[in-house]
Amino acid sequence: MTRSATLSAALPHGGSGDTARETIVDQGRALERFLAGIERRAFRIARIALRDRAEAEDAVQDAMIRLVRSYGGHPEEEWRPLFYRILRNRITDQQRRQKVRSAVMAWWPGHDSDEAALDPVESAADPGNRPDQELEGAELLARIEEALAGLSSRQREAFLFRNFEGLDVAQTALAMGCSEGSVKTHYFRALQALQRVLGELK
Amino acid sequence: MRELERKSRAAFDQSVDSLDAATRSRLTRARAAALEKLRHQRPAWSSTWLPAGAAAAAALVAVMVWQGDEPAAPRAGPAQIALEDLDIVAGLEDLEMFDEDEEFYAWAADEASEGVG
Repeated sequence: MTRSATLSAALPHGGSGDTARETIVDQGRALERFLAGIERRAFRIARIALRDRAEAEDAVQDAMIRLVRSYGGHPEEEWRPLFYRILRNRITDQQRRQKVRSAVMAWWPGHDSDEAALDPVESAADPGNRPDQELEGAELLARIEEALAGLSSRQREAFLFRNFEGLDVAQTALAMGCSEGSVKTHYFRALQALQRVLGELK
Repeated sequence: MRELERKSRAAFDQSVDSLDAATRSRLTRARAAALEKLRHQRPAWSSTWLPAGAAAAAALVAVMVWQGDEPAAPRAGPAQIALEDLDIVAGLEDLEMFDEDEEFYAWAADEASEGVG
């Protein structure tokens, strides 16, 4: 049974209920299309920001639930920046927890301070069908991820949303909760810093 | 900088395309779980309170017309965001620039001329 059929079967029939049911089924179809189109990119962005696979998956799922529950009734063109705003807030909360956990663990006897570091094997992309090219891309992305880790959180967000996700300036401003001018500033600073770190890309 | 933008975007796109099957499967399940929320959600106007709500709305409109006031339309759109998402707005912006930054202005002009974002 498809998702829409599941939704349809779950809702009441008859009278004004039919209109309500159709509205929700249509909304469900649109939301499913939207989430299916965005979930992989959102996961990769959360993974880069949080540097943890499981936490990134949790963050994306929470953002999906929040979008459906709180903003599903908004116009479709607003979903993308709203989704990334929710995800951004969720990532920020998680990063705060990571910092607290690191501070506590630093006092714990025998704690390995490198434990939270990025695992280069786990973070590498699945090689797929074109191993040479994809390995090159994976190596480049690993270098970019390391460079992004050295940026301020605002610069990193601006780069992730503008460059990786392709949000425009206005959408990025909504996702980051700041002005469009600030987005341009942070993005430009991020580009400058990355170019300094990465040098000329081959 | 254009080359940096282009190559980093391509590397990211490639990593998305080659995401492993286990992660793709977990994301699909997460999506299904999120959409389940719709099953328990009804538009307010479709509930059993519809007649009472309609009567209240009609009474409100009647009072407004009678008083000659124009109802203030609620502003819908991106600015209408849940309170819990507004924490960032309260934070101070890092406004370190714009002043005498010729490189930034050149880059911004370039962005505008290329119609980016």
